[in-house]
Amino acid sequence: MESHDQDPTTESPAAGSEDPTTSHAAGGHGPVPSGGDSTGDAAAAAPRRLYKSRDERMIAGVCGRIAEYFGIDPVIVRVIAVARVFAGGAGLLAYVAAWLLVPEEGALASERPGRTATIAGAIALVLAVGALTPLWSGPFGGHWSGPFVAIVFVGLAGLGVWYLASGEQPAAGGVRDILRRAGFGLALLAVCAVLAVSGAWATAAGGGTVVAVVIVVLGVWLVAGAFIGGARWLILPALALALPAGVVSAADLDVRGGVGERQYHPLAADQVRDSYRLGVGQLIVDLRDARLPAGDRRLHIDLGVGQAVLVVPRDVCVATSAKLGAGQVSVFDRDSGGVDVDWQDVRTAPPGRTRIVVDGDVGVGQLAVTYQDADAIRHGGFHDDTQPGNRTCIGGARG
Amino acid sequence: MASSRRPDGPSLVAGVSIALVGVVLLLDHTGVLDLRFAALGPIVCAVVGAILLAGGLAKRD
Repeated sequence: MESHDQDPTTESPAAGSEDPTTSHAAGGHGPVPSGGDSTGDAAAAAPRRLYKSRDERMIAGVCGRIAEYFGIDPVIVRVIAVARVFAGGAGLLAYVAAWLLVPEEGALASERPGRTATIAGAIALVLAVGALTPLWSGPFGGHWSGPFVAIVFVGLAGLGVWYLASGEQPAAGGVRDILRRAGFGLALLAVCAVLAVSGAWATAAGGGTVVAVVIVVLGVWLVAGAFIGGARWLILPALALALPAGVVSAADLDVRGGVGERQYHPLAADQVRDSYRLGVGQLIVDLRDARLPAGDRRLHIDLGVGQAVLVVPRDVCVATSAKLGAGQVSVFDRDSGGVDVDWQDVRTAPPGRTRIVVDGDVGVGQLAVTYQDADAIRHGGFHDDTQPGNRTCIGGARG
Repeated sequence: MASSRRPDGPSLVAGVSIALVGVVLLLDHTGVLDLRFAALGPIVCAVVGAILLAGGLAKRD
């Protein structure tokens, strides 16, 4: 059973018994003249209330109603709201809070939030603005803002998740109900986060088929639940499992090669492997001292997430083909990046020369072929080449 | 006695959409198709959009 903390003023005969639209005019939603209110003292004494506008709305009617409340053009409020959104996000946060906590214009008194809810909403707004303002050097600067930002964001996120998952109307109930919903919403968020991470990791670790089957089963369960009832709560967890698994699949992300930094420095041709693999981290293969014989030497590099750097001697020709889910390929002074990157750099070596044929497969990250010093890369990071490479090749085409 | 209860629209749409996503992932992992971000983006938009649309229409009923 819902409990509502009613604002006493809404229960008064003068204001509470009125038709909401009448109350809009008399109760003072808009600017009220200082004297001569024809509806009487009780109505004149009633506080002006903020409601979401039904007529003047672009999204939820918040800006339109604020404009009416202060008697200004709604466009001005919208411009300020949009500016606040791009000034770090406080505008968005405040808008979401108002959307959740401010009642609809014309809503019945029982549907309006009570005084406690209004105070809670006002506190949330003040906390949100006060906590986020220091992020762009506002007047409340200080180290204390971090936890408040987290609390406000997480609390509002939990509340929003609850309203979305339950299908309940926002702004119903007192502060206890709001906290309860925020708690349930947070719990649902936590479950979804665990599912998302677990599904993504399982997919990346080779369990993609099992995860896909589980997703199909959840979908069938939801379809059955649509007829039996009581399965709508499953939508969010199912999406939380399916979408990250989809991202991992699209990136061809494979973390089975291990985690960390790997550096290979073969000192002879027979020490060079056909394939180098790493799950997450930095992989450096230094072939400068491998003394590769003339002819083709094929090399497969498989990286889940991170950076793979192939260091080659200057007297070899390097042909590269690579596939990246998301990231960048950098072959000497040439590069390409983005999502779904397919890199083809076909090169031909002159007779008697060595050609390294690289086949790269990277989930998310960077694949680089360079002449830079491997130790310098390991300690100082990889820097984009500015000098052209592959001078020993006699022809090439990049596709 | 036959039940005249209507199925829950959002659950039905979400269930079908999520099951289809699962089938696509299954085909990707079995090598039948190669899922890329270029395809995943529209799929995700379609799934989320369909669920939101079904939810919105259900509220209007």
